[in-house]
Amino acid sequence: MVMFKRTTREDTKLLKVVNELLRVLGKEKVLSGIEDRLCYSYDGTKQKALPDIVIRPNTTSDVSITLKVANKYEIPICARGAGTGLSGGAVPLQGGIVFDLKGMNKILSICPEDFIATVEPGVVTKHLQDEVAKHGLFYPPDPSSAAFSTIGGNVAECAGGITGLKYGVTRDYILALEIVLPDGSIINTGRKTLRSVTGYDLTRLFIGSEGTLGIFTKITVKLIPKPEKIDTLAAFFCERDNAIDAADLVIENNIVPRTLEFMDQMSISAVRGYGGVTLDEDVKALLLIDIDGTGENIKHDLSVVESACKKKNALRVKVAETSKEREAIWAVRRSISPALYNIAPHKINEDVCVPRSRIKELLQKVDQLNDKREIYVANFGHIGDGNVHVNIMFKDEPGQEEIAEKIVHNIMVEVIKLGGTISGEHGIGNKKSQFMDLEILPKELSIMKKLKDFFDPKGIMNPGKLFPSSA
Amino acid sequence: MSNDWKNEVSKCSKCGKCHTVCPVFLETHDESAVARGRISLAEALKDKQIGYTEKLRDYVYSCKKCMRCRKVCPSDVDYEKIISALLRGVAENMGIPLLPKIIFRYILPRRILFDTLLKVSSKIQRFIPMKKRGQMRHLPLLFMGKRWIPTLAGKTALQKFRKTRKVENPRMRVGLFTGCLINYIYVDIAEAVVDVLNKMGIEVVIPQRQLCCGTPSSTMGDVKSSKRLAEENRKVFESLELDAIVSACATCTKSIKNDYMHILGPSWKNMSDKIYDISEFIDKFIGDMPGVKPIGEKVTYHDPCHLLWVRDISEEPRNILKKSSRFVDMDMADACCGGGGIFTIIHYDLTLKMLERKVDSIQRSGADTVATNCPGCVMQIADGLAGRNSNIKTTHSIQILQEALKNGETKK
Ligand SMILES: Cc1cc2nc3c(=O)[nH]c(=O)nc-3n(C[C@H](O)[C@H](O)[C@H](O)COP(=O)(O)OP(=O)(O)OC[C@H]3O[C@@H](n4cnc5c(N)ncnc54)[C@H](O)[C@@H]3O)c2cc1C
Repeated sequence: MVMFKRTTREDTKLLKVVNELLRVLGKEKVLSGIEDRLCYSYDGTKQKALPDIVIRPNTTSDVSITLKVANKYEIPICARGAGTGLSGGAVPLQGGIVFDLKGMNKILSICPEDFIATVEPGVVTKHLQDEVAKHGLFYPPDPSSAAFSTIGGNVAECAGGITGLKYGVTRDYILALEIVLPDGSIINTGRKTLRSVTGYDLTRLFIGSEGTLGIFTKITVKLIPKPEKIDTLAAFFCERDNAIDAADLVIENNIVPRTLEFMDQMSISAVRGYGGVTLDEDVKALLLIDIDGTGENIKHDLSVVESACKKKNALRVKVAETSKEREAIWAVRRSISPALYNIAPHKINEDVCVPRSRIKELLQKVDQLNDKREIYVANFGHIGDGNVHVNIMFKDEPGQEEIAEKIVHNIMVEVIKLGGTISGEHGIGNKKSQFMDLEILPKELSIMKKLKDFFDPKGIMNPGKLFPSSA
Repeated sequence: MSNDWKNEVSKCSKCGKCHTVCPVFLETHDESAVARGRISLAEALKDKQIGYTEKLRDYVYSCKKCMRCRKVCPSDVDYEKIISALLRGVAENMGIPLLPKIIFRYILPRRILFDTLLKVSSKIQRFIPMKKRGQMRHLPLLFMGKRWIPTLAGKTALQKFRKTRKVENPRMRVGLFTGCLINYIYVDIAEAVVDVLNKMGIEVVIPQRQLCCGTPSSTMGDVKSSKRLAEENRKVFESLELDAIVSACATCTKSIKNDYMHILGPSWKNMSDKIYDISEFIDKFIGDMPGVKPIGEKVTYHDPCHLLWVRDISEEPRNILKKSSRFVDMDMADACCGGGGIFTIIHYDLTLKMLERKVDSIQRSGADTVATNCPGCVMQIADGLAGRNSNIKTTHSIQILQEALKNGETKK
């Protein structure tokens, strides 16, 4: 837990800020008790840092008023959606104000005729998906956390998910944003149209900005027609490479599955027996595939996928016959993350992404880096996009953490060599900021820094995130 | 109780999945009102970063203890251990409000005193102005809340069944744990249990010296009282040679079957294994029920939190209703009705919001009657329906079965 020793002068300043915010926002929206601050001190990384004040805005104007005050007193501001982030984005590393945006959770409009919806940032992703589904529409970005993470957080991290191969990621569905800048001014980027090429694409600049440039207060998303039907298939392999080859062959055959997920041997042995999951001992790699569309094309696609898997020596291919069977197949995938803790109590969860053609090499490199088997590595994830979750598991013993961190560092170096990226979907936050300059060259990094300085000259927006500490 | 709650605290991965099911969080969106937030408070207490404050107490009391979060937790955190430790800590460090303390420590453990006091209040209740929604204040915290509940029964269930109704050559002998609400208010539910089981050739004993299950006191962290009640109940039930113990109250069943395992330890296991919710018992030991003729009414079912989320029981009561009525499911049958002890008193506004949603679902289902398996839910839902002047009746699923059996007799 990060705690701040403050000087008396800083304390007096904070007191002033609290009083000013209380005056303009009212006591319902301004929390400064230690109990509240504790409840807004963490995110999905389990890191903790105590904010000084928690603000719970209801409107854009609340956000703007708060930012004006924060800017005047130069108090750090950290936006928080549901606090499910996996790179430390919502952890207020330097204290200051945490914005709890969960209260701004209205769906403002759904326009079926325009394929557009506008929402407040605190709307939970799945809630939006369910509501648009009532109009026969589909909001595809589907992080595994969709049932509890917010659209605002998704936009700020450019969340991916399991439907990425076919449908893309959050970025591909954001048309327009209302943003409050650090000085409290309100801007609108993009248009509520399916196309717009007028001027620079500021919307995209803000997508994935991790709360370091401004706060989204309204988000307009693009929708598409909802696929009629989804079918699920699981293919079991005794060789990792066979599974990867099969995935390739599926795509070579012009089939783009809705999801194409991979699990390696370590992931499989972790889930074996967990919550009633049964998997034969000879299974060393697994592909989990969803095909969507209309009944006709699904039937065709499934048969292509099935024969591709068999051609690549699948031990078995199982097509789910009922929704129960479908559920059972996906339960296997969902249980990986918690089940990994059965192997070792500590986990570093990386989300590197490489061109699909380099996945085999990546996994070989990872094997080599852990050839002494000092720690455990489980690989699984969105193989269709080349986005592999490399999970480094280690024990409570001395030296283990250092070994794990060294391996992580070396994996990052290899990923870059393979033409990949250090984060495919979780973002940089503070967890990966030390690797930024492996991927982003000095010139590009300095452009980013200039943009940051332009929007946030006082550096109050989520300090300590995204940029390496040297930058 | 040990310190194993501390282990549970460190198991929490802070993923936030508890957000998806917590009925309180879904209303308030307060991180302090969901398991993940309370776990971070427990963590701070453990590390001596904070002490027991009024705010902390409010946040601890804002938990409904429905245990949905425990059920969905991917990291398998035993939240019940954590919230119990928090409640106990609050009680030990801040004390228990005086009135509940008197009730838990001195009245609940003494059946006769409890009876007398309630008799007095059942006389007094005529002087309390009749409100549209029910007629009397909450029990056993009868002086505390804003809740209005049905009139106390003239004769309690225990009094009514002082003598065990004889059954010729019974195939089983079971004990009924009545629980306070059924004993004092919903005597007809106890009657239905006895009626139905007797008709199935099962003798039902209602031990006269049984006491409150202890949930109200553990809700306030009064471990001492809960323990005392558990020990008394153990004596009562262990002294009788029963094939099984049934209860028609979801919360009492959870308490005596699950919570007593912590309170009394592994030696309770033999007894615990013999405890069943009434629908579970019927499903397991009776199955086919000759003589049941479905009643004409449309009946829907509400899942009590403590039955569904703690015991995973949802099919059994529905099967009973399907056999004995025209059953229709409602949407969000598993959503909390908002009822439940101290929470309804402290967070009356939230309780009402949950209740309104529940009543919406019930009305949408088109049912004539809503059945459930917990007298607490019956009381809450009946209150909500009364508030809307609805004609929909609220009852216990065993009462529907009772009617269907009667129906079978008359129309043979
Ligand atoms: C179990 C689990 C599974 C996950 N699966 C996936 C997955 O499949 N794919 C994936 O991509 N991610 C996944 N994640 C990571 C996480 O859920 C996503 O990053 C998500 O987008 C975070 O949303 P949030 O609302 O929780 O944001 P938070 O964690 O609260 O915040 C994340 C960042 O967004 C900023 N932010 C939040 N709201 C705003 C706003 N309105 N304006 C500006 N900045 C804002 C914050 O400052 C912070 O930097 C998973 C996490 C968990 C715990």
